[in-house]
Parts: sequence; C-alpha cells; structure tokens
Amino acid sequence: MDAFNGRIPAGIWGLSAVLLAAAVMLPFMLSPFQIRLAQQILLFGGMAVAWQMLGGFTNYWSFGHTAFFGLGAFAAGLLAQQLDPSLSVAVKLAIGTVFAIGLALVAALAIAIPVLNLRGIYFAIAMLAFAEILAEITKTFDAFHGTSGFPLPALLVPGLTKVQLFYFLFLLLFLTNIAVFVWLRRSRIGMGLTCIGQDEDTAAMLGIPTERYKLVAFVLSAVLTAIGGVLYGYSLGFISTGSVFRIDISLNLILYTMLGGIGTVAGPIIGAALMIVLTQVVLGNLLDLHMMLTGAVLIAMVILAPKGLMGLARKAWDRRRGAAEGRP
Amino acid sequence: MNGTLLFQTLVDGLILGGIFSLSAVGFSLIFGVLGVVNLAHGVFILAGAYIGLWLKGALGLDPLAAIPVVFLVLAVIGGALQRTLVSAAVQRGSLMTSLLITFGASLILRDLLILAFGPDIQSLSSTWLLRTYHVGGVVIDGARATGLLASLVLLAMLAIALHAMKVGRAIRATAQQSFAAGLCGVDSNRIYTLTFGVSAGFAGASGIIIGMINPFSPFDDAYWTLNAFVTVVLGGVGSPVGALLGGLMLGEISTLSSQYIGPRFPNVFIFCALLLMLIVRPNGLLGNAYKASV
Amino acid sequence: MTILSIEGLTRQFKGLRAIQDLSFAVESKSITSIVGPNGAGKSTLFNMISGYLKPTAGHILFEGREITGKAPHLVCGMGIARAFQIAKPFPELSVEKNVLVAATFGRLGPRDRQATTEHAIEVCHLAEWRHQPASALSIGNLRRLELARAIAARPTLLLADEPCAGLNETETREVIDVLSTIRKSGVTVLLVEHDIKVVRRVSDRVIVIEAGRKIADGTASQVFSEQAVIDAYLGTAGA
Repeated sequence: MDAFNGRIPAGIWGLSAVLLAAAVMLPFMLSPFQIRLAQQILLFGGMAVAWQMLGGFTNYWSFGHTAFFGLGAFAAGLLAQQLDPSLSVAVKLAIGTVFAIGLALVAALAIAIPVLNLRGIYFAIAMLAFAEILAEITKTFDAFHGTSGFPLPALLVPGLTKVQLFYFLFLLLFLTNIAVFVWLRRSRIGMGLTCIGQDEDTAAMLGIPTERYKLVAFVLSAVLTAIGGVLYGYSLGFISTGSVFRIDISLNLILYTMLGGIGTVAGPIIGAALMIVLTQVVLGNLLDLHMMLTGAVLIAMVILAPKGLMGLARKAWDRRRGAAEGRP
Repeated sequence: MNGTLLFQTLVDGLILGGIFSLSAVGFSLIFGVLGVVNLAHGVFILAGAYIGLWLKGALGLDPLAAIPVVFLVLAVIGGALQRTLVSAAVQRGSLMTSLLITFGASLILRDLLILAFGPDIQSLSSTWLLRTYHVGGVVIDGARATGLLASLVLLAMLAIALHAMKVGRAIRATAQQSFAAGLCGVDSNRIYTLTFGVSAGFAGASGIIIGMINPFSPFDDAYWTLNAFVTVVLGGVGSPVGALLGGLMLGEISTLSSQYIGPRFPNVFIFCALLLMLIVRPNGLLGNAYKASV
Repeated sequence: MTILSIEGLTRQFKGLRAIQDLSFAVESKSITSIVGPNGAGKSTLFNMISGYLKPTAGHILFEGREITGKAPHLVCGMGIARAFQIAKPFPELSVEKNVLVAATFGRLGPRDRQATTEHAIEVCHLAEWRHQPASALSIGNLRRLELARAIAARPTLLLADEPCAGLNETETREVIDVLSTIRKSGVTVLLVEHDIKVVRRVSDRVIVIEAGRKIADGTASQVFSEQAVIDAYLGTAGA
C-alpha cells in the first residue's frame, strides 16, 4: 500500500459483487433483443478496457485495434475449417482461441518493435495503416475468403439459448479484461506507464524500462482484443473482412473510453453502455443519424468534459464533499 | 517487358499522382502549420465534389468554372471549423484531442452530405476537357490530363502565395515559430483560421477534379483522408513541393502495382509504403518544410 | 577512489564539435563542479553520461564499468541520477508520487521505497506540498522536487544541472543546503553551475571547459585565479 495503490474500498468490492450477480441473472430475465444489447456492451466495453492497457495510461492511442479483433476472428474461423469435422464445436473454439492468441502475440510483437518507437499521432496512424493492411490482405488473397466471407461452426450448449450462451462468454472475457487491467494498473508496470504518459523521456531517466513496459501493455491489449474477435466471429456464425476489420470498431473503443473517462475501469463500460443504448434503442429507427450523433458526442466530450463522465462525477463529488466540510 | 505498356503505366501514374498531390496539399498545410491531423479532410474533398454537382444541376455551371465558388464555400466552412472547434481542442488538450475533434466533425459532415445528396454514387462531367491524345501508342486521356493541368496550376498558385505574398510569409513564419511570429505582430489565431480555410478550399477544389475523373460517394472520405496522409508521409510535411513529390510517388506505386502485380493490390502496397515510411523516415522525403527537426 | 572517469570523450554534431577529447576523473564522495560559458558543452557532457547521447568517440566508466552508450534507464539503475535545470516533473502526479516513482525504479528497486520517499521529501523540505500536483509548484519547489527525485533514486552519483539557476537568495541557500546533505550521506555530486558564489561555496574541485575542451582543473581558488579561466569565463560573465 502506498500513494499509487490505496486499498480497494469495501464499497467498490460490494458494488462489484452486486453488479456481477445482476449480470449473471440478467440473461434469464431480459428479452433476446435486450440480451443482445447487453452482449454488445460487454464485448465492446470490455475491449475498450483492453484498449486502455496502453492508451489509457499513455499517449499511444491505437487507431487500429480492429487489426487484432479481425485477426482473432479470421484465425479461429479459418482454423475451424481445417480441423477434423468430428471434433465438437467447443473444442474447435478452444483450439481456435489458443491459435488466435498465439497469432496475435506474434503479430503484436512484430509490429510493436517499429511502431512503439513512433510517438503520438504517428503511432495512431501507423496502427490505422496496420489494420488496413491486414484488412486488404484478407480481401486480396483468396485463401482468406475475406471478400466472400465464410461460416463458422455453431456453438450450442444445452439449456442455454444462443444469445444467452454468447452473453456468458462475453461476460467471461469482460471480467478477464477488467482483472488484467486492474492488475496492470496496480503493478509497477502501471506506475511506469502512467509516468510514460506524463513524460516519456523523464520516465526513462528515472529508471523506468519504458520500451519493455510499452511492449507488455501493447501485447496484452492486442491478445485480449484478439480473443474478443474469436468470440465475436463465433457469435456471428459468418464473417467477412467487412464484418470484423472495421475502422469504426477501432474508433468506437476510443469513443467509449473518452465518453466514460479515460484511465478508469468503469469509464469505458459506462461509455459503451450509453452509446450502444443511445444508437440502437433511442435512435433505433433513425439509422441515418447514428454517425452524426456519434460525432456530436465525441466533440462535446472532448471540449466540455475531457476527463469523461467519470471526471465530471468526481468533480461533482469533490464539490459536494467540499461543501459538506465547509470549504469554499 | 513491354516498353509501351510500361510507359503508359508511368504516364497514368503521373497523372493520378498530380491529382493526389492537389488532394493532399491542404492536409499537409494544416499538419505543417497547426500540427493537427485533419481527419475531416476527406469529407472536405467530397463536399467540394457535391457542391460542384449541385452548382452544375442548379445553375448549369461547368465544374471547372465552379472551382472558385467551391473554394470559397469550403474555405468558410474550414475556417469556421477551426475557429470554433479545433482551436478549443488544441487549447484544452493535446494534439490527440484535435484528432478526435476532426473525426467527430467528419462524421457529422458526412451524414449531412448523405442527407443532402443521398448515399448514391455520383459523377461530374465538364465540357471544357482537353482532347485525348495518342503519342506513340501511349494514350493520354483528356479528362485526366485536364485534371492534372488544373491541379498543377492550383499547386503553383499556392506555392507562389506562400512565398511571395505577405500573408503567405506570415503562414510560414507561424509554422516555424508561432511565439516569435506573434512577437513580430503576426496574429497566430488568425493565421491558423486562414490556413484551415485555405486548406479546406484546396481540398474542395481537388474534389471537383476528382469528381470529373472518378465516380464518388459520401463513403469515400476515409479513403481520401488516408491517401492524403500517405502523400504527406511519403513527400514531407507542409509544402506544396512535398505534396507534389508524395502524390507522384503514390500515383506511381498505385498504377505500377495495379498493372504488374494485380488490380487488387494497390491498397496493400500503399499501406505498406506508409508503414515503411513511418518507420524509416516519419517526416517524409523532404522532411518538415518548416521545422528543422522534430 | 575514482567513481567516474571520462576518457577522450568527443561528440560531434554535424560540423560542430560540442565536446573534444575530454578526459577527467571524479573522486568518490566529493562535489565536483563543471563550469564554462554558455555553449561550452556542459549539457552535452551530461547527456552523454546519462545515456541520452552517444559519444562520437571516447569512453565513460562508472565504478570501473563501461557505461558508454547505455540506455538511460540502465544508467539510472546503476546508480547515476540526474536533476534537470528545467525541472521535468510528471505534472499531473503529486509531489509524493513523483518521488515514489524515482524510489521504485532507482538503483535499489522498490525495496524500502516508502521510507526512501519520506526521507527525500524531508531532506528537500517538500512535506508541505506532498499532495499537490507537481504542476502547481513554484520554481524553487520544483527545483527541490527535482533533487528529491534524484535522491530517492538512491544514486551513488548525482548529476545536478544548474540547480540554482533563476532562484532567489533564499531558494539558492535552500538548494545548497540540500546539496550538502546529499554529499554528507555519501553521494558523489557532479554539478554544472553558473553562479560562481555557489561553485566556490560547495565544490571540492572545479573543472572549467570551454568550446568542448578542458582548460582548467583544481580547487575553486586555484582555478579562478588562472588567466585562461578569467579570459574565457569570468571575462564574459563580468562584462
């Protein structure tokens, strides 16, 4: 326990337990449409948490995380076609996940060495380009079936509907991402990454192994995103380049994080919940306006609340506490 | 290898490259002077094409004649965007936030384009085109040659303005040292607005030329923004010459890979070239026109 | 005992030779000052010792081991800490966290980091501001935060880059105090300083460099009486 790592308050533990219990019961109470919304919140909110492992601490904002998402989906999907058809789908999914993790690891390590030396905007755009290259490759070479798309085996578990099943798989990944992020933030690596975000040169000067920490964060983030891609691919049942290599996925991860509050655990999740409900329920019938709304929210947040909703909440909380203690 | 085919490919690349250059020069200028990556650049280009389309339909104005009007309209839009949103973002936070702001603006503007003109693919045609020439087996397409010519004229005008006019020199001074330029009486906020406006104007003008050569739809904006970024990364930041060099390289990479490797390959090659340049020499072949080293 | 030795060090920037064939050795547990006019190459020297610049030629040995061209975080881990003239704190972190980071990643690693942090904050008189973000500090406080971070790294050699530049009398005295405390705790200090009064007060030894070359080396009183030094340095400073 020190200035960086206070004990996690009992209140937070309690709240997490209640939320988890609710999350487990929810799919047995909601309609399939509502479960599908919750699925998306878990998947994309959880991936935004994974995105934060590098982008939440530092200015290394990946604008191309869909590269790893698509990589995971394609790796698992194409592998499933090669595997012995008599294998059960659950085994195929497990093997596919391991394969996707391995591939994401290799890809992240290979790309990290050059791109992590780029700073700021250059890193952002290099990642965007990396995602585009992977997308183009899957479209260009017939072996990947990116243009026409291909089916994935249907995963079935007795007693659960398909939406319920994938809800639970996404929940599992979501919890994993949060656990890894919280561990990272409380470790020396998180401390080092926070310093890198403030001033990378000074961080190196103080003995922080900047290159190694950035690499660890980047690789963790990439691998967890790839697992998200595997599960998403299986949940769709049929994927193509256009359905998993999507710039808007990369950008939404950033949007959710900005909206909720960068650097926090709850922020990206709140951001994802808000945007997904807003675009799919409130504006469900006004498809044309989704993008405009997304743009407007983005601009409003950057200008009015750069620390996101969590930042606003914290400010309001501080003010109330200040008032209660009689401070101005 | 067939000599005529190679020559034809090189000429096509040159023409395409000239047009890429014009489409990227505004992006390059904003990046060089404000340090902002304008993700709304592609929408500016398309807006230019659509305004040209509207002027032609409503007033019967030839697209080439509409260029000054389109330039002015986009200059106002760009200037306003800078004055209101971009400056607020730059003041409040890092350049990263300007990336988010311009992206947000691009989403809004693109939806506006769709609402105004519909999501369909459109094209522009001009009656003022050059003839198509055949030189020793090489075909020089009239529409494309006209586009190239117009692009080069506009680029030259910008280069002259930046070097010979007082306001151009003020722009370059602000890019080098905004603080020192301020001490010399240059109002850097005004220069930023002006730069954004001029850049948007050039983007709009290039939209007209692009529209005369290729069909376009509101969903092409990301392609043009990325193209501009590649052009800048290849050529160098902030100068018309850098944009010209980068654009020509991009055009040649595009046509050569399409001709000799396969029509589906140019994008892979372009993005690989981008990644390679970012890693080897992120400020382009000519470097940053204003800053000695970054 | 020699803690740091510089042997034939040269650094060339395109045409300009910032440091030319510079050699000297620093005695353990002393305060050695490097002085010289602006542009003499003092910052270049510090940048090379701390691993930010690679020398064009020559060697840097620390505790008998070659550190030439090593990465900054490795140099730091071996026990060389640096306090910058232009303080570079992590602006959004509190004073305490700034120091804690240095304690965590310094020579001895995270062991006893809390106690080390407390000690450094106390030595540098920063207790009053410990929960303030570094961006809210005054110049004097920032300079002492810079020193506190350097101490918290538990170095054996401290590179102090003009710690008194731009400070008033009181603030300067506070910094001199801190430097003396550091030295008493057994840390060697290599100091770059413009203020001759400060140099005279704290230095065991003074090395004068001009245009990248060493022109004098000795105690403060010896060095400042040499004609070459007066011409090169005091002449311009007094003018």
